[in-house]
Amino acid sequence: MIAAIQALLDGLMIGGVYAVISIGLTLVFGVMGIVNFAQAEFLMLGMFTAYYAWAWLGLDPLIAAPLAFAVVFVLGAAVHHLMIRRVLKAPEVAQVFLTVGLLIVLENAALLMFGSGFKSVATSYQTSALHLGPLFISVPYLAAFLMSVACGAVLWLFLERSWFGRAMRATAQNPMAAKLMGIDSDRMHRTAFALGVGLTAFGGAVILPYLTVSPTVGDQFVVLMFTVVVLGGLGSVAGAVVGGLAVGIIQSISGLLFPIQMQNLVLFVVFIFVLAIRPEGLLGRAR
Amino acid sequence: MTTQRKAGLGRRSTLKLGVAGALAAPFLSQRAHAAGSVNVGVILPLSGANAQFGINARNGIQLAADQINAAGGIKSLGGAKINLIVADSTSTPTTAVNVAQRLLTQNDVVAILGAFVSTLTIAISEVTERRGIPLLTMSFADQITGRGFENIFQVVAKASVIGKAQFDDTLAIAAASGQKLERIAIMYEDTAYGTSQAGGLRTGAKNAGVQVVMDEAYPLGITDITPLINKLRSSGAQAVFPVSYLNDSLLIIRAMRQQGITIPAIGGAAGYVIPDFAKGLGEYAEGVLSINLSNYDLAPNLTKAFSDRFGYFMVHEALEHAVCMSVLAQAIENAKSTEPDKLRAALHAGKFTNGWCAAMTGGAVQFDSTGLNTLSVPVMVQWRNNELVTVWPADVAKAKPVWKS
Repeated sequence: MIAAIQALLDGLMIGGVYAVISIGLTLVFGVMGIVNFAQAEFLMLGMFTAYYAWAWLGLDPLIAAPLAFAVVFVLGAAVHHLMIRRVLKAPEVAQVFLTVGLLIVLENAALLMFGSGFKSVATSYQTSALHLGPLFISVPYLAAFLMSVACGAVLWLFLERSWFGRAMRATAQNPMAAKLMGIDSDRMHRTAFALGVGLTAFGGAVILPYLTVSPTVGDQFVVLMFTVVVLGGLGSVAGAVVGGLAVGIIQSISGLLFPIQMQNLVLFVVFIFVLAIRPEGLLGRAR
Repeated sequence: MTTQRKAGLGRRSTLKLGVAGALAAPFLSQRAHAAGSVNVGVILPLSGANAQFGINARNGIQLAADQINAAGGIKSLGGAKINLIVADSTSTPTTAVNVAQRLLTQNDVVAILGAFVSTLTIAISEVTERRGIPLLTMSFADQITGRGFENIFQVVAKASVIGKAQFDDTLAIAAASGQKLERIAIMYEDTAYGTSQAGGLRTGAKNAGVQVVMDEAYPLGITDITPLINKLRSSGAQAVFPVSYLNDSLLIIRAMRQQGITIPAIGGAAGYVIPDFAKGLGEYAEGVLSINLSNYDLAPNLTKAFSDRFGYFMVHEALEHAVCMSVLAQAIENAKSTEPDKLRAALHAGKFTNGWCAAMTGGAVQFDSTGLNTLSVPVMVQWRNNELVTVWPADVAKAKPVWKS
């Protein structure tokens, strides 16, 4: 029983992080209708930003997370302006080629710039855990989870309460009507894309204390991110949160019942099952 | 026909090209020999997840080749110089096969060295075996020498032997410190290397009547190690044997420390015996034991050249790849030829004692009919102050082992 509660707790914490790194992907799709295959590479860039902030400036990755967000936000705005903008009305194949190409370019540019080795930070809380009776709560996991929750809350406030957020949702719902109301859709798209990749970078920075970063780290996350997003419902921010938590908990519980090797097998069996019943995802709108 | 002519590739011109090529071929290769060089292919993962190991190995080979050339090259071939042709296999077997084929067809290499990762070496060996070109390696999954191939030469012991030594040495070290091991845990990456070494661990435990209370494989590229460590904590093991490359080794040791698990961890080489391990873990690396295939402190007079040149201690994959290079050069010397058949015979026949071979445990390299070096014995090393110190077997040890984590 204790083991089950422990697994649930671990799954919840890791799921919170999955949610934040995946929200960006779903946001970009929701607002612009583009599937960004390069999303996980922005996670890698966020991790590297946080790593160098630690190595050069001595900043803790958790403190450097907003910096990672800012750096990748600007980069994202530039990528949108120079590339993504041009394929918005192009056939889907062109969009896929562009984002997959971006993935390859970013990964190899990182290999050239950062070298291919694994880098990791050393922080004081990295190997500590809180003891709650028989339960262990890993401090770096908890910190990453809390940062993710805070980040998600800010995003929610932004989308729900601010004029800008409302305008962005309006653009997502009906681009033509939004334009007629005087909303600059290009600006909305640029902000959505920058915000999307920035959030993923933020997630990358907060997980750095318990992971290592290398230029190919995106490969480990890309499938996971798509699973979270599709499970929750493509384009739905709340769906990404539910999907993220679900994936974290499924992985953790399956580790308890089955060999670890079957972790992803169990995840995808559940995934297929959910899609068979609700093809639009847990919280997605039927299209 | 018209389209062909437009493209400038008529039947006649193709024929001419082919004839010209056939005529030129012997002259081309002759010119290569006249320049006095021997092309040696090096295939290693220089990008991707295992790049750091590949770079270390390349440094080792480069050092050995430079030393051979500086000492006058291959004397029986009139002082021919070693010319390394390095190719990146990435971490995918298909790429490894492609670059192996390219090296053999375009670069006229006399032998191939590589590729650190067992899975890659196995893929490359299929190509070299077909072409009859020697492949010298320090990869050690059992399959490598277990398939009856004639052109593969492995300078270190095989994984099941290493896994068994990892267990037996640990048992002996624990006993020497007055501890009796009764329950152990094994966790390994489900690759060719992890799986065969775990097999050796299991055999060792079974022979010694020690209970394996946890025996868990996990997939390559795992991002969350917590479930594995939760299992370890509730298993009641007295020692844990993790077998993995670098990334997982950092995650495992960190997660163990987080949960306050203080049982000794005895690593399975690879990720546990490179400077990045100590760099990534800081003080938590201190006291971690690992099996190793060779260690730089056993031949300080040779390995100093490496640390002087590259700025870090000579990791075992660098050392053993230098040994591969050294063995190959001695075999060419003995064969007085780079012809594959003669070279293969020389590799099988000789006992190699010169150059880097002296740095190996056993002090020499000698291959049996499967291509396995019969003299290599694994050693146990321990992290002390960011250095790896050989602590077992007692007759070669540089310091006494400390049994705690």
